Amino acid sequence: MSMTQPAKRKSRWPRWARRGLMENIATALIAIGFLMLFQPFALSLYTYSFITMLAGTVMFIIVSKFPE
Amino acid sequence: MLNRTAETVARATPEPLARKVRGISDKGLAWLFISPTILLLLAINIFPLFWAIYLSFTNYRANRPNEVVKNLGFANYQRILGDQDIWIAMQTTAHFVFWTILLQTLIGFTLAWLIDRKFRGHAFWTTLILVPMMLSPAVVGNFWRFLYEPQIGLFSYVISFASGIPPTSIQMLSNVSLAPWSIIIVDTWMWTPYVMLICLAGLRSIPEYIYEAAEVDRASNWRQFWSITLPMALPFIMLAVLFRGIENFKMFDMVNLLTGGGPGSTTEVASITLKRQAFESWRTGYSSAFAIILFVAVFGLANIYVKALNKVKQR
Amino acid sequence: MSLTTAHSVVAPSANSKRIAGAIIIAYALVSIVPLLWIFATSFKTPPDSIAYPPKIVFQPSIEGYCNLFTTRTRQTPEYINSLGPATGFCDETVRKRNMVIAGPSNFLPRFVNSLIIAFGSTFCAVFLGTLSAYGFSRFKVPLADDLLFFILSTRFMPPIAVAIPIYLMYRELGLSDTALGMILLYTAVNVSLAVWLLKGFIDEIPREYEEAAMIDGYTRLQAFWRTVLPQATTGIAATAIFCLIFAWNEYAFAALLTSGTAQTAPPFIPTIIGEGGQDWPAVAAGTTIFLVPILVFTILLRKQLLRGITFGAVRK
Repeated sequence: MSMTQPAKRKSRWPRWARRGLMENIATALIAIGFLMLFQPFALSLYTYSFITMLAGTVMFIIVSKFPE
Repeated sequence: MLNRTAETVARATPEPLARKVRGISDKGLAWLFISPTILLLLAINIFPLFWAIYLSFTNYRANRPNEVVKNLGFANYQRILGDQDIWIAMQTTAHFVFWTILLQTLIGFTLAWLIDRKFRGHAFWTTLILVPMMLSPAVVGNFWRFLYEPQIGLFSYVISFASGIPPTSIQMLSNVSLAPWSIIIVDTWMWTPYVMLICLAGLRSIPEYIYEAAEVDRASNWRQFWSITLPMALPFIMLAVLFRGIENFKMFDMVNLLTGGGPGSTTEVASITLKRQAFESWRTGYSSAFAIILFVAVFGLANIYVKALNKVKQR
Repeated sequence: MSLTTAHSVVAPSANSKRIAGAIIIAYALVSIVPLLWIFATSFKTPPDSIAYPPKIVFQPSIEGYCNLFTTRTRQTPEYINSLGPATGFCDETVRKRNMVIAGPSNFLPRFVNSLIIAFGSTFCAVFLGTLSAYGFSRFKVPLADDLLFFILSTRFMPPIAVAIPIYLMYRELGLSDTALGMILLYTAVNVSLAVWLLKGFIDEIPREYEEAAMIDGYTRLQAFWRTVLPQATTGIAATAIFCLIFAWNEYAFAALLTSGTAQTAPPFIPTIIGEGGQDWPAVAAGTTIFLVPILVFTILLRKQLLRGITFGAVRK
């Protein structure tokens, strides 16, 4: 793809950091945090659930600014 | 007609002139219109939130305002996240959220699927089904205590009549294993219509031509359901599930009035624990930390919910 | 919510329609039973209400309503006989139970509080919401998506989590247990719904109307007032009813932040007690009076319900 065309400048953004993919990872992180919060098996998983959810939420807010 | 005239005139008028007649600039007006809302939310929601974050690092107690406030760092968070009792409260919440969502989604979707058949008078019956979800969960939840009374309560009577169990032994609210189900029943009764309404919108949004194509391909009804109806309605189901999940995760009013967390702490969901810590034990700093933890959880779900909303909006 | 458009090419057979109808009607009837029971209980006498088996046929009485609006004291039969003739039906009913009316109960003031707070906060929320919705709908606001998300996210805050700092803040400001404090709080919660719903409604009004008005010499503000507002009336009314229902039904904030003068009906109704436990006919009477406005609103709103519960995302 030609880099001279200004309309295509967005494509310089690395493919792996596109919004869609990163948002899905953040969503998964929040979901895992919830499972850790709710599971009845290990206290330590519950202990780290908060930090997982926080990381997922912060990540979600940041990556929602990334280009598609 | 008005439309067309306006368009032509708008195109004909030079931009600077159009701007001059407006008085206040558009940018100024936009901020004038939006700022009161933002200010109110900053004052009533965001400022208290930051105050709560500050308090969550202290040992402040609201019933002893004159005591010296000590900074505890992350100690409150560490205590809550290592506390066996709060972990159990989370599992109680999980039990409540899981079963209410499962039941409401299954019943709600089935009802929507049946209503979509458009039998005679379906509009009237749909409206009737919707009534419970508009009512106050607190006031109606309170009345359910009467329906649950052993012997004299209508619910217990009907159950004992149908099952033959002696009416005095149906103690929905004071039996340790039945109490969690008593709140699940009321919540399901109340909010199944909500899920049903959104599922109905999902079913109605499926364009007719897809079914026509499936007919041409001689797909069976069963196949059509699994490969067209369900996947196409899924974004809507997700929307309902997420919203009910958020709401039930922070459920307080109905549970507080039905069981108050009892018997013992068998129905003590997170909000009830929080209320007990904050407004009965007055451990304000500690409960602020708990509140922040719950808030982050809800905020994370809310992000996903808004994403789901936008997805549905595009349909 | 349109209930008439068909889409399936295979029109459901008459038989499947009949079965679907029967199941839906059965569900609707069963789900409405608790509400009918509330209504029926409100017209029972206290002994009838706790009879075993539960009485479906009974002699109607308005004792529940009498007990709801009054406080009573127990007296000896001699004392009651020494009083003059009963002044009205409630007086007579109460005397039969060896009691006299001591005065009005707190129900009426609590109900009035509910009205003041619900209508006050609805007015404020719809007013602020209309302005912001217009702003977001018509102007290029920097970070509009983030602001809108911020506005919506405030609605998801767990009420108890918000109540802790609000309790402290109101204590400092002298707003605890005041109608003003509750109106501010409910306005803040409702404004998010109002902005999102009204933005949807205003987005649907063609911009050309205002542009035409502005060409005619109106300022932007006048154009908003003369053309947009009249067109948005339905949307504003629907939004107002949603806000009203929320404020009317709200329990958590009311229970934690009010205790006396500004208490609303939801935290009050569960505290109605008679001799030896809850006075269920009186509770049912209070509940009935409390629920009737909502039933009326639900019927008025049925076409907008879907929009309201999805923050305007699902329009049809």
